[in-house]
Amino acid sequence: MISFRSLFASTWMGIQHDLAWTTPSLAIALRTVAPFASAMTVSIIYWFGVTQSGMALDPTRLAYILVGSTLYAHVASYAWVPTIAIAEGKNLSVFPHIYLTARSTALYVAGRALSAFAISTTTSLAALAAAYFALGSFLHTSIVLIVTPASLFMLAVALLVNIPAALGLGYFLGAYSLYASKFEWSLPGYIAGLLMVFSGALFPTSILPWPVSVGASYLPFTQFIAASRDALIYGRVGDYLWSIGLSALGGVVLLSVSVWVYFAAEKARKDGVIDRRLA
Amino acid sequence: MRARALVRLWSIFGEPMWIIVSMGFPVLSSLALSLLYYSIGATNYVGFAVLGGVMVAFWGNVLWSMASQFNWDKQEGLFEIYLTSPASITAILIGMSVGGIVGTVPTAVIVSIIGWVLFHPVVAASWGAVALTFALTLASLYALGMALSSLYLVYGREAESMNEVLQEPVSMLSGIYFPSIGSFSPFPFAVQIAASLIPLTLGMDALRKSLFYGEGFGAVSFDLFALAILAVVFLAGSAYSLKALERKGRRDGTISVRIR
Repeated sequence: MISFRSLFASTWMGIQHDLAWTTPSLAIALRTVAPFASAMTVSIIYWFGVTQSGMALDPTRLAYILVGSTLYAHVASYAWVPTIAIAEGKNLSVFPHIYLTARSTALYVAGRALSAFAISTTTSLAALAAAYFALGSFLHTSIVLIVTPASLFMLAVALLVNIPAALGLGYFLGAYSLYASKFEWSLPGYIAGLLMVFSGALFPTSILPWPVSVGASYLPFTQFIAASRDALIYGRVGDYLWSIGLSALGGVVLLSVSVWVYFAAEKARKDGVIDRRLA
Repeated sequence: MRARALVRLWSIFGEPMWIIVSMGFPVLSSLALSLLYYSIGATNYVGFAVLGGVMVAFWGNVLWSMASQFNWDKQEGLFEIYLTSPASITAILIGMSVGGIVGTVPTAVIVSIIGWVLFHPVVAASWGAVALTFALTLASLYALGMALSSLYLVYGREAESMNEVLQEPVSMLSGIYFPSIGSFSPFPFAVQIAASLIPLTLGMDALRKSLFYGEGFGAVSFDLFALAILAVVFLAGSAYSLKALERKGRRDGTISVRIR
């Protein structure tokens, strides 16, 4: 029970940290800009590529790219938060104080990731809606999206099921930040880039060379995006359930391993490097 | 200028891991968008994504290592040392730019090589025009970074949020990965005009014409002229605004205030 209170306190602190530096509504609006622009860019690339190559624009494929790019941005924007929470905490001398509390730093990191999840879900869905209307206007096409209570419920379940995987990735990267005090600021770029290539966000993973394509197709993030597409574009419940199951299974495995790695990295405390600001 | 450039170069090449670390996003995003072009059957345009990856490396450097730099230097207490030294601020900024450009070249080369090896983009270059366009694009882009650095000094802690807000929309509007101005643009004319005020927009347009369509100086002369004008305007603007900020800072006694 007390652990839940600590988790809630960390989550609330994360929301304050991320939004309260200005008017919260302005902070949300500013955070929507990047995923919106990113979704627009890849959708326009598709439009440009097919129209200039003499092919017909397929609204379903456009929706495939739009949904994938928005959700990849969603995962990328909260999976790296544990890294930054630790790095920034070390830099500002906050993190050693969290070690002094009665609760594990893992709870603090989980709380920060959950707050980022809540914010990122809001901004990603807002970006998806804005890009949907903007693309329809610019490209003079209607994008095929199923927006019903059932499809939105399925999307919400997919978003929640993906939390363990994203948190697992966060713990892995956080373990790095516990020990290292340099290069951690560059990790978000790597996460975003790797997700773009290997999560099936923009194109089917089957176009990647074997065996990379097989590995990429079973990533929990790939299955999460596939499940969301099944909910919002294709309306295929059977495929959705299969993808959700794989995403959940992958997430549990990833989270279990990463929690183990994270606690192993807490040896940093014994080594006296948790207050080291520079490498 | 030389001293500041050397500091930047040493900070990058003195620790080669920095080069590997900084190339992550340009390499992977270029790879992903090349694969997007490839997957939809638009293989003729894969080169656009490779070229975009090269230029996004420089754009990232402008935002994070030029525009934000003085703000970070101020927080570390370096900015007041710059002001009290006999060197001009503009010279320091130009030195930073030169160091940043040379330091980003390895990333640009790696992106090009990976793109070339994996996708064999069709290149029909007018190399003279490519070289001049590239040089002018970088000059005007880094001049924009110098102008932004003065703006970010005013905004203080909001600078990083500004960067995060600016990075993607500018990438979209400037057409790093697709033509955003001209007859192939999806944007309305008014948006294209606004986008043309970003040096990257004109630079990418001219680079695509000269690198992939073999168009020479004549075809890109307007872009080159506009880029030169933008470079001069941003350079003069940054010198003027930094001087004004310095005067205001001295008058108000806020030059040495590290965090605001």
